[in-house]
Amino acid sequence: MQIRDYIIRRLMVLPLLVVGVSIIVFALTRIGGSPIGIYLSHEMSQEEVAELEERFHLDDPVPVQYFYWASGVLRGDLGWSGVAAAPVTDVFLPKLAATMELAVSSAIVAVVLGIALGTFAGARRNRLPDHLTRVFSISGAAMPLFWFAILLLIVFWVYLGWFPIGRSDPDLWARIDHPTNLYTVDSLIAGDFGAFRDAVWHLTLPAVTLGYGATAIIARMMRSSLVEELQEDYVDAARAKGLPERLVLRRHARRNALIPTVTVIGLSFGFLLQGSVVAEIIFQWPGLGRWMADSVLRGDQATIMAYVLFTSVLFLVVNLAVDVAYAYLDRRVVLGE
Amino acid sequence: MRRVGELIGALLKNPTTVAGLTFIILLLGMAILAPLLTEPNTPDAYQMPRDWGAIAVPPGSPGHILGTTNVGGDVLYGVIWGARTSLRLSVIVVSLTVVVGVTVGSIAGFRGGRIDEILMRIVDVFLSIPELIFALAIAAVLGPSFRNIILALAVVFWVKYARIMRAQIIHVKENEYVDAARVIGDSPWRIYLKDVLPNSITPVVVQATLDMGNIVLVGATLSFIGLSEAGIAEWGVLVSEGQAGISAGRWWASTFPGLMVFLWALGFNLFGDGLRDILDPRTESSR
Amino acid sequence: MTLVGSDGPAPPALAPAPVASVVDLRVHFRSKAGIVHAVDGVSFDIADGETLGLVGETGCGKSVTARSFLRLVPMPPGIQAGGSILFRPHRTCETCSGNGCAVCHESGRVPDACATCEGAGCETCAGSGYLTVDLLEIPEQDLRTIRGNRIAMIFQDPGKALNPALSIRDQLAEVFYQHRSAELLAAAAIDGEAGGPAGTLIRRKAALRSRLLEDALLSLPPLRARRNKLRAAADDRIVAALAETQIPNPRKVMDRYPHELSGGMRQRVMIAQALACDPDLLIADEPTTALDVTVQARILELVRELQSRHRTSVLYISHDLSLVRRVCDRVAVMYAGRIAEVAPAEQIFSDPSHPYTRGLLAAIPATSHERGRLVAISGTVPELINPTPACRFAGRCPFEAPVCRALEPEPKPTRDGHQVACFIHHPPRDAADGVPTFDRQVR
Repeated sequence: MQIRDYIIRRLMVLPLLVVGVSIIVFALTRIGGSPIGIYLSHEMSQEEVAELEERFHLDDPVPVQYFYWASGVLRGDLGWSGVAAAPVTDVFLPKLAATMELAVSSAIVAVVLGIALGTFAGARRNRLPDHLTRVFSISGAAMPLFWFAILLLIVFWVYLGWFPIGRSDPDLWARIDHPTNLYTVDSLIAGDFGAFRDAVWHLTLPAVTLGYGATAIIARMMRSSLVEELQEDYVDAARAKGLPERLVLRRHARRNALIPTVTVIGLSFGFLLQGSVVAEIIFQWPGLGRWMADSVLRGDQATIMAYVLFTSVLFLVVNLAVDVAYAYLDRRVVLGE
Repeated sequence: MRRVGELIGALLKNPTTVAGLTFIILLLGMAILAPLLTEPNTPDAYQMPRDWGAIAVPPGSPGHILGTTNVGGDVLYGVIWGARTSLRLSVIVVSLTVVVGVTVGSIAGFRGGRIDEILMRIVDVFLSIPELIFALAIAAVLGPSFRNIILALAVVFWVKYARIMRAQIIHVKENEYVDAARVIGDSPWRIYLKDVLPNSITPVVVQATLDMGNIVLVGATLSFIGLSEAGIAEWGVLVSEGQAGISAGRWWASTFPGLMVFLWALGFNLFGDGLRDILDPRTESSR
Repeated sequence: MTLVGSDGPAPPALAPAPVASVVDLRVHFRSKAGIVHAVDGVSFDIADGETLGLVGETGCGKSVTARSFLRLVPMPPGIQAGGSILFRPHRTCETCSGNGCAVCHESGRVPDACATCEGAGCETCAGSGYLTVDLLEIPEQDLRTIRGNRIAMIFQDPGKALNPALSIRDQLAEVFYQHRSAELLAAAAIDGEAGGPAGTLIRRKAALRSRLLEDALLSLPPLRARRNKLRAAADDRIVAALAETQIPNPRKVMDRYPHELSGGMRQRVMIAQALACDPDLLIADEPTTALDVTVQARILELVRELQSRHRTSVLYISHDLSLVRRVCDRVAVMYAGRIAEVAPAEQIFSDPSHPYTRGLLAAIPATSHERGRLVAISGTVPELINPTPACRFAGRCPFEAPVCRALEPEPKPTRDGHQVACFIHHPPRDAADGVPTFDRQVR
């Protein structure tokens, strides 16, 4: 199959999956009955309630209600967030920027560290570094993020005082413009090195915490695929050419071992998205995840719906991108013999 | 049975599975013996006892070996009864999801055609939503309670089994012995029970073992966020309770219960991984 | 230290010495059941310019022997249990600068003289007077200047031995950058000695030392032209190497990836890569086994032709006696980790002396005895775990005598150029200590 056909086929399935997710999301919020509750107050009369119901189409059959909601979503109307006391759409972007700043930093940490660790361990199979990496990566899969974050806080915030919590020093934050809402980027645009330092300083601990699980997954995959590649004939052939071991590893084995690792990088992005909810609560990071957690506790259905829908679509798109990258990288698979 | 003996032998030879098994046995022992290890709280033993005379005392205090929380909850009690809560959670969710998943997967794989198509599209949609976020949304809609966490996890976790089971059945169905059984004239139901199911169950068992750990991990996360009732003896709830005190240097109320979640998940992960290596030699290189 | 191309004193007229000598090679493997003696006391010489066939069944140790030349046997589980592989590297002949003349016997290469005795013959060069290195002893660094340069290797399955993620150009370029860095720079008219960061960068690039960041710098305008010149110089050599193996359209083929080529083409690429630096010794490990029968013949033909043109010595590993007959000057037959018989190719076929060789020949369907019976050798290859001193073929041999179970026969010459490890030909001398002598009548 050609790469292009493959991409087109996947792209055609994508909207169907999104519609499926939106149906589930909508159905979820109707399990608890009519969402009229948040608009009601005690002094409203029967007529006023009925009027509200009609205004929000809550007197129509559920499938019709779904169409009203879905067409609203398509127009960019995600409803009213009780928690933020504003339309969801208005608050969404700045919070998304905060979450993305965190998630992308973690992803960079995870990818760089994971590949480095996996390579280091795989090239030293069954020796001490390999065993240590294995302990590190198995622990990563079993590590409760909320606990790990608190441990790091206890050590680095409470006892050592090396890192702060929150996203920024308010004074420094107020000092610069925020065209992108990404603190690191904004501070660089403003050319304010003090603010940039502040941004990185606040970002480090949450990014490392959030990245741990993903690092572990990537390191593990990298290690096992490198071990596999190192047993291939072409590695011996590269040695027989007279290449130094460093090049045999770098130019030959690692290049091929990266291919299966790419798929795991996509998976671990889902890991990061989920983890951001917990990390943002603990590090008091003003992103989507913390908003979602607040909304969950206070029954803010519009926010929950928007968040679930958004993360699912993001997850689907990232996985599609990864599959395409995989198909492209592994020439053997797509073009075949 | 000889195969069972061989399997146990292989499990005990592998240091990874032995380590996993050790954690599992210790934690399960704690869960089962909870009423003997500590005086059960009345009327509900799953509710944390409150010692208003000893609020936030550090580990090593008389009567509170691991200290107490900000509201006088004994951390040791929470650690021990939390194991029981986790056992309850994981056993209920794993049995529910395995039954539902295996049934759906079997129907899809065995019947094929339109039913298969529809069921698998549903599975695909379920898999498009990240696990924790899905469970979080469901639990939120149902309202905060431990029972709703169980329900939410069950809704999220069955899909993997459906997918595994369907793939296995399609794979096994192609094998000749199923054809042979058909030629003999066995009924489809009999073929399913006798030939297909026993040959398909291995990866389900492995996944179930891993999920025994994962479910406690996700469940504790939901509790930590605040989706169970406050005050129950559950590890995630305790970590959340302890979080308020860390800025004042009271590290113990979060540290010990969180460690339990870690060890629980670690135990089942190590054991499940080892089990997979032994049962399915194809994936051996993943170690 | 470079072993190759060093300006040692010109060798005086010396007796020709073998390009490589394997002396009592022992390679063992650790396994759960015990130590496997995969190669257990193997000795043979490869004469300058000859093709030596190393023949035996799967698992007889022939591949391990071949891989030992380049130290490609993984250790652990492998154990280097003893012996040496002596190798006498050559350099380009100064008289004809590699074109072939009378001095270098048309090979374009002359051996280096021994650094210790300057050709007089001493202990370090095993009396040959030529520079001699023990491939099993020299440091990894020095070995790398020999691998792919003085000794090259072709693998069994070219589909697996070529890296699927790199283009043919990338894979061949590596060889030139690794071993011919200075020549490439000269060909590209780049001053190899130039100082400054630019000179360093391009030198590092030409020696495969550049990292990602440096490569990025080199792709920017000021340095780009120089890098392109270097690339063009490498490309010219790659095209020439590919063309020599009769690959059509080498300029196009070098941009392809291995999976886009047929099996035969891939093996041609492997051969081109192996011969890129004009090695003294080519090790071919069953180079046609993985190929279609029709392609096999053409590859075989190609190897033979290139061998005679370059006068490269070849160690040809195969399990197929009839195939070996077509390419080899001499044949060494291996059985269960030991050499059974070494002889000129024709003699092996006309007058096989070891019972195992005879068994092998009887198992070949040959046109000469049409419709004759094919005879399988009875029994199975012995376990090589902690073997006792005895003939390895005992138990399967139709001429077995009690002595075969008590002593281990060593390969000894029977007549000109023919060596056999069998008591039929070399009855043990001292029969006095109770070991019964061989009954000569069976012959």
